[in-house]
Amino acid sequence: MSHAITDSATMLRRNLRRALRYPGLTVSMLAMPVLLMLLFVYVLGGALGGGIGGDIRYVDYLTPGIALMTITTSTMTAAIGVCSDLTEGIIARFRTMPISPNAVLTGRVVDSMIQTLLSVALVIAAATLMGFRPTATFPEWLAATGLVVLLTFGVTWLAIAMGLLSKNPEGASNIVMPLAYLPFLGSAFVPPDSMSGGLRWFAEHQPFTPIIETLRGLLLGTGIGTSGYWAVGWCLAMTVGGYLWARSTFRKRALEA
Amino acid sequence: MSAIADSTTMLRRNFTHSVRYAAMTLSGLLLPVLMMLMFVYIFGGAIGPAISAGTGGGVSYIDYLTPGILVMAVGAGSASTAVSVAVDMKEGIIARFRTMAISRGSVITGQVVGSTIRTLVSLALVIGVALLVGFRPAAGPVAWLGAIGLLALLILAFTWLAVAFGLVVRSAEGANMASMPMQFLPLVSSAFMAPDLMSSGIGWFAAYQPFTPIIDTLRGLLLGTPIGNSGYLAVGWCLGLTLLGFLWARSAFNRDPRR
Repeated sequence: MSHAITDSATMLRRNLRRALRYPGLTVSMLAMPVLLMLLFVYVLGGALGGGIGGDIRYVDYLTPGIALMTITTSTMTAAIGVCSDLTEGIIARFRTMPISPNAVLTGRVVDSMIQTLLSVALVIAAATLMGFRPTATFPEWLAATGLVVLLTFGVTWLAIAMGLLSKNPEGASNIVMPLAYLPFLGSAFVPPDSMSGGLRWFAEHQPFTPIIETLRGLLLGTGIGTSGYWAVGWCLAMTVGGYLWARSTFRKRALEA
Repeated sequence: MSAIADSTTMLRRNFTHSVRYAAMTLSGLLLPVLMMLMFVYIFGGAIGPAISAGTGGGVSYIDYLTPGILVMAVGAGSASTAVSVAVDMKEGIIARFRTMAISRGSVITGQVVGSTIRTLVSLALVIGVALLVGFRPAAGPVAWLGAIGLLALLILAFTWLAVAFGLVVRSAEGANMASMPMQFLPLVSSAFMAPDLMSSGIGWFAAYQPFTPIIDTLRGLLLGTPIGNSGYLAVGWCLGLTLLGFLWARSAFNRDPRR
């Protein structure tokens, strides 16, 4: 057990070092949600704000959605990274060493989680500068943080599984796109009831909408209803499904490498 | 005459690349269409009423949006040009062409013509999809000719600038970053939203940046909305950017390759 933890820590150190050595992708993944936030608050916010109803300001409505989108887009680096490792042959080299087989994936997941959670913190800081004023109490902040961590864990495993399916890093980037941009088709930017028929139905029933609504409820005190159960359920399903899928795909691909 | 034959050869090479690297070509073609669908169907319900009220109820959001998406499509097309020129520079094929009995200008001309054709296909695709989702232009044949002429001028301007970026930067990532303003400046213009609906500082910037008169002129030509002095500004910006891009690209290409 301690052997596996040590190996995972070594792999984590390797991934963090790579992120520092090749900062381009990391910086662009950090910058994109902040730029989206600026665009939606200052350029489109005037019109979109009128469509959300109630006494909630658009920057407050938007921040939970952008925080979630930060998580989904950040997973692209994990997918690209794990695919690059496979195609460059480093995995084949690791297999000849006395390393815990799961350490490569675990190191990648923990690295991705650290980077993603830092991105989310940056987005919330930027949102605060733009006027985001959450009404959450300390327990609600804890619950919101827990949900963000759980979602990051689930989505990262899912993205890694998708990255392992791809034959090259470009393909890995493309295969994760639907996952990364699915929040657009949810309640992240506008309420689903402002959308047209079929799209509205999809937006109301897709996995990220209850997660966004729960996060919004925890941070702003809006009604959560049954969204909380759905949010935790979807996060756990993504984690278990992603983990099992990633592990089985990794075994197959590692044997081919 | 040899220059034309050489340029045709380079154009053929350019098209072969487009077919061989179909993923990049397709993403360049589809991105503006996806952007349009997203703004119409996801945000249109929320933005549409504000736009309709601002234009006296006469313009639907798809009609308002399409000219802006056309300009964005030109920007997206220029990014792939910058990347392909940068890759050619990095891989040394340009240096090899310099040693051959080829008209010097043909290498760049092939890129410019190839990019222009690709972007025109992208624009046709955007207009086709826009018509399917409810775009109803009020333009007559002369107005359509004017709109096509303005778009062709804009493509020329952006393509020459993109070629210059590709020659100067010499890495695919750098070229992509350098062409970002051409892709994302339209977002902070009158493409998706009237500048007077934006917050003050951003609204001022959106009203006075180069893309706004180009988009407003295009909108005026296609929908019959007033153009005012935007037409002169639009043509002026396009000609200015074309000249800048052409001179910059030429000097970068003619520079000593060892430097």
